[in-house]
Amino acid sequence: MIKKIFGITFFVLFTITGISQSKKTLEKQEEIKNLVWNDNDPYKNAMEIPENWKNESAVFLIKNVKYIYDRPGNSIEYTKIERDRIKLLDQAAITEYSELKYTEGNVFYREMSRVTNTFFLGVKVIKPNGEEIEIDVNQESVSNNDEKKIAIPSLEKGDIIDYYFYTNTIVGENDLYQYKPVESTIGDAYPIAKFEFLLETEDDFFLSFNTYNGAPKLQQIVESTKKDKKRVYSFEAENVARNDFPRWFFPLVELPSYKFQVLFARSGKYEKKAYAFIPEDANTVKTNVSKEEIFNLYEDKFRPYGNLGDVERFLKNKNFATNEEKVKEVFYYIRHAYYTNYIEAFVMNESNIMYPFELYGKNPIIFNKDEEFVRFFTAFLKDNKIDYEIIIGTQRFNGDIKDLLLESNISFILKVKTENPVYIESFDPYSTPNQISPLLENTSAYALKVVDRKHIEDIETVKLPTANYKENNSTEKTEFTIGPDFSGISVNRSFVYNGQSKLDEQNNLLMYYDYVYEDHLKYETEPILERVRNKKDKEKYKKEYAALLKNLKEKQQEKIKKRTAGEYSLEIDNYSFKIQNNGRFGKEDSFEYTDEFTIGNDLIKTAGKNYILDLGKMLGSQVDLSSKEKGRTNNIYMSYPRSFNYQLTLNIPEGYSVSGLENLTSNVENETGGFVSKATINGNKLLIEIQKFYKHNYEPNANWQKMVAFLEAASQFTQAKVLLKKE
Amino acid sequence: MRKLLILFLFFTGLCVAQKNSDPTPDEINQAKTLKIKYPKDDLVLLESKDYVTFDFNKNLRQVTVKQKINEEMLNISSRTDIQKHIFYNGQSEISNFGLKYRNQKGAYFSIKDESYTSEGLFFNDSRVKYVNVDFPVQGYKYYFEATKNVFDVKYFTSLYFSDVYPINKKEITLVVPKWLNIEIKEMNFEGFQISKKSTFDEKLNADVITYSVSGMAAVYQEEQSPGPSYIYPHLLILAKSYTNEGESYTLFNETKDLYNWYKSLVDSMKDDPAVLKEKVLELTENSKTDEEKIKNIYYWIQDNIRYIAFEDGLAGFKPDESQNVFKKRYGDCKGMANLTKQMLVAAGFDARLTWLGTKRIAYNYSIPSLSVDNHMICTVFYNGQKIFLDGTEKFNPYGEYAERIQGKQVMIENGDSFILETIPIVLPDTNKETHIFNAKINNNALEGDVSLTYSGESRATFLYAFNNLRTEMKNEALEYYLNKADRNMLVNNIETSDLENRDDQLSINYNLKQDNAVSSFDDEIYINLDYSQEYGKWLFNERNTDYEFAHKEYLSSEINLELPEGYTINELPNGIDVNTKNYKIFVDFEITDNVLHYKKIFVMKNAVVRKSNFKEWNETIKNLQAIYNQQIILVKD
Repeated sequence: MIKKIFGITFFVLFTITGISQSKKTLEKQEEIKNLVWNDNDPYKNAMEIPENWKNESAVFLIKNVKYIYDRPGNSIEYTKIERDRIKLLDQAAITEYSELKYTEGNVFYREMSRVTNTFFLGVKVIKPNGEEIEIDVNQESVSNNDEKKIAIPSLEKGDIIDYYFYTNTIVGENDLYQYKPVESTIGDAYPIAKFEFLLETEDDFFLSFNTYNGAPKLQQIVESTKKDKKRVYSFEAENVARNDFPRWFFPLVELPSYKFQVLFARSGKYEKKAYAFIPEDANTVKTNVSKEEIFNLYEDKFRPYGNLGDVERFLKNKNFATNEEKVKEVFYYIRHAYYTNYIEAFVMNESNIMYPFELYGKNPIIFNKDEEFVRFFTAFLKDNKIDYEIIIGTQRFNGDIKDLLLESNISFILKVKTENPVYIESFDPYSTPNQISPLLENTSAYALKVVDRKHIEDIETVKLPTANYKENNSTEKTEFTIGPDFSGISVNRSFVYNGQSKLDEQNNLLMYYDYVYEDHLKYETEPILERVRNKKDKEKYKKEYAALLKNLKEKQQEKIKKRTAGEYSLEIDNYSFKIQNNGRFGKEDSFEYTDEFTIGNDLIKTAGKNYILDLGKMLGSQVDLSSKEKGRTNNIYMSYPRSFNYQLTLNIPEGYSVSGLENLTSNVENETGGFVSKATINGNKLLIEIQKFYKHNYEPNANWQKMVAFLEAASQFTQAKVLLKKE
Repeated sequence: MRKLLILFLFFTGLCVAQKNSDPTPDEINQAKTLKIKYPKDDLVLLESKDYVTFDFNKNLRQVTVKQKINEEMLNISSRTDIQKHIFYNGQSEISNFGLKYRNQKGAYFSIKDESYTSEGLFFNDSRVKYVNVDFPVQGYKYYFEATKNVFDVKYFTSLYFSDVYPINKKEITLVVPKWLNIEIKEMNFEGFQISKKSTFDEKLNADVITYSVSGMAAVYQEEQSPGPSYIYPHLLILAKSYTNEGESYTLFNETKDLYNWYKSLVDSMKDDPAVLKEKVLELTENSKTDEEKIKNIYYWIQDNIRYIAFEDGLAGFKPDESQNVFKKRYGDCKGMANLTKQMLVAAGFDARLTWLGTKRIAYNYSIPSLSVDNHMICTVFYNGQKIFLDGTEKFNPYGEYAERIQGKQVMIENGDSFILETIPIVLPDTNKETHIFNAKINNNALEGDVSLTYSGESRATFLYAFNNLRTEMKNEALEYYLNKADRNMLVNNIETSDLENRDDQLSINYNLKQDNAVSSFDDEIYINLDYSQEYGKWLFNERNTDYEFAHKEYLSSEINLELPEGYTINELPNGIDVNTKNYKIFVDFEITDNVLHYKKIFVMKNAVVRKSNFKEWNETIKNLQAIYNQQIILVKD
């Protein structure tokens, strides 16, 4: 059963008291209720839905979202009230709204400020004859650990459920407070007859707000006066279609949506301290971010900083032919020294084998924020007189950089201006120079020009590099040998991944022990057990760690086996795999592994003395488009251009010949991509060579049928059969 | 850029292992030996002891129970992380919950105590106390102890010899004082070497009864298994009566006592049938027959009362009043049974509450215990017959009974006494499902008309699933169901019977084009005739328990292929005709008038494949697989 969760997720440091059903609380609850459901409520009699939505599961008669930011006394207060009035038209909708779960309010302290959270829920059921049944939420709800839940009574098909949830957070004395950004589509799981958005603020609250993709613009409906500082903004929408999220889709890029963030800053002094884009004054709504603002915000945020002692020791007595090489080598060194060097320690600690951190000296450097890494790395660049730029980009699902509004939508990339520029973005065990997130590739971004490796002096729009589909490649070579009695097939595969295709595979297949030892060896650092000096302890940890590794390796094997079985939708046995190359040093360094397994006779059909082989199935699962998907109306947003090469080799059993090679031939190629396959016989081997490729990471909808063409060809290939004919 | 993440999360406590807690070479050897015996398990309980004593609480005037649990846990795998847990509820509490190292020193893990809602319930008073424990190496050991205090002996119904871990040596001791009359029923002891020793302890003035058994396998984690009361050896504790200060008090001495207690709960309800009146009138005023009246009420309850169960204290046994369930439009089985009763009574029928244990429970009412039943329905006395109405069922027609209650003994209220009755068992063809595909070859496809019919529980299952889909998804979902999410199957012109009607046979007709079913090589045509291949994957290879189907199945399938002119079939696969006590599997090929008739019949007569029949069942399925694996070859005349 799907349950609605109205969660307030807060980072709770420690809870002091739950808010009890005090008289004050009950009064407040009543006040909120009257705020939402009152005689002036224009929707209190809304009952009917448009004719064209009669076959929907449910319809929002009204969806009203209200945010209020104000400042009682010295505190600052945030309130969100969402009121939904939904006509439930079928059993699925009844089930959906049958039970509600929520978290009650609480009080805790964060950085010496008292934070009070309040949550109220109000629910009414309205019968088709207009009879209203108000649910006594306090009475009807039950507690289950930290959560409250309520079974909504009296609910039947054709009823309306009218509910609100009120979330309120009061933060004690604070001079600077940034609220979490909000990014949302207007649409929901059901169509909406009327959508209303309202936002109220007052002095010292700074609002960034914009709507996108055809959503109505925000209007200010109440101006502040000398007497009343309140400002109110709103927008409304009607007849909003139900959200539908197809494959390869970025909702915030296509669907009517809105984004906003509010910052509280008590005075000019604190405004400057804010690490955010804020409007010039509290009276202006910020709708986008200019290059200059980015410049101003980051001007001194990226001052190079870091203790370079380790790096200097690493560089001592080393010569590099080029700065490019030096930058790359230092990156790998840092990746080890401040990341992979510690992984075993975290594992040891988490698995209770030992408390390991004292083995790593007094102040090990660990980067907790992206900026810390950037500042450290730029400190090295500065020290070595290597020029660089800091590039500010945004991932494709956020929209274009020129529409940027929220600081949280920003990604940083370091462009080191060596002979060939080196781009550095991520910092994890697999990240390598020149490999940036596929979601940033080929996007527009802003480059902060750093002069003298000290000051940011200018900003310019640039295009981030992109890899083409040939670079993002996976190559699979598979050899099939049919068992002597045709009862099964043994399979040997080898894989080579390059470019962006490599990253997902590394994350899926590699475990830390597959690579930390190569790093320890390369950088002459000690694995954890060698750091333990006490012999007896060492012996004990060694045994316990060996047991843990055995366990982890078994799980890894099992996980990969399952994944492989899933690729073919078949049961597999005798699985084993071996990592051949981790691919962690450079964009050109491939990730490679081999595996082998057996399958039963699922793909072998008997046909008298002959056999029919479902050879196409060995391509693995392909995209199967439903008729609805074939009629897609949205543009297509994919992760990155990519290509797949397959070389399938069948060892033809002795005494048999192969018919039906023509079934294995396919040739569809167009501007969006292609699927090309050909089959040849060479001695006792049937060789099938296949190329499948997606040329771009984005296609306009006009190209969709071209994509369908090659996707269908690939899918049809999986149906291909050959006949093994007894000679 | 991604932030530095802690990559590995294990379920571990706060405790760092002690010195001297490492396993000895003997323990490591023992672990290795046991791993060979129990390759799929990680832990073994070397010893597991339950020590049960009884007392009398004068304030509550209840017989109380104390169950002391002591276990010696050995890790037989390389490393094991578990949650050691124990359940309790509003009628019990846990004390002395803790673990010790092998050197008997306390191991201080942080103990968690949370409410625990069992699947299918909305709210109950169950709680779980647990610790996250890690066993760092093979041979590592902990001692576990806990005491469970049950406030009222009537809720202490059974003791099992098995656990989620295998047990080397299990011992259950019951110290039964002379003032307490308890019957201990030994259940499912056959096939287990359980020894019993009984002595009299003069000091305690009590019988000390000890059961011991060695080498118990862990409970099976298998789907569609019979309930545990059928499979595992256990003791049923029937507390019959006790004597206090010279006076004798009856507990559940006989079934009548159990009934009386249930009846006392029912009598304490304050039903207000006036609230139901208007709805009852609306449902019955236009009915032509009494049967139609009953149907209308019964179907209204199925369709409009949602199953939402609160099992909090006595609410686990006492039905919610009918007016509450009616107003809330939700309730548990008891609430729905009582609402059915009250609405029928308001309509002038003789309707009564009825207790029963579903198929999952092995017992009947010869045992006076709360463990006998777990369900409530309503019985209407009509036309000299007893008709059973289960409001929790969905799309269940009047007079048809779900598998889970068929053949079960029921206890029907009858004033001060009660009536025992058995719910009829239906024949498998009540649930008959038929498929017919009249196909022709069209290039590489098979094309033709398909007609499907469903009855009984196969129909109810279909209707329930279909009617719970979002309206705008229904057409797409039906197509998806019919094309089995296979790109080769093109479904068109779907026509169905009324998909809300639970009484009549359900039928679906459509055109099917099955692409890629026909391959031509040289002069021969190869046909993959069967797209359903029912039961083709049903091999029971590593299963330890009977396989229970959700209901009796009767499937009849026919594919009739018109052969193209100028082609014949030289060789047809051999059929199957297996008919056993529990199942029938029949496959036949025949050519008449240039049409190949491929018929299959599968009947799961008692909705079960017994473990004892797995071998012969598997052989039949392998023969079936061989048929499914064969292509039909058409050759030119």
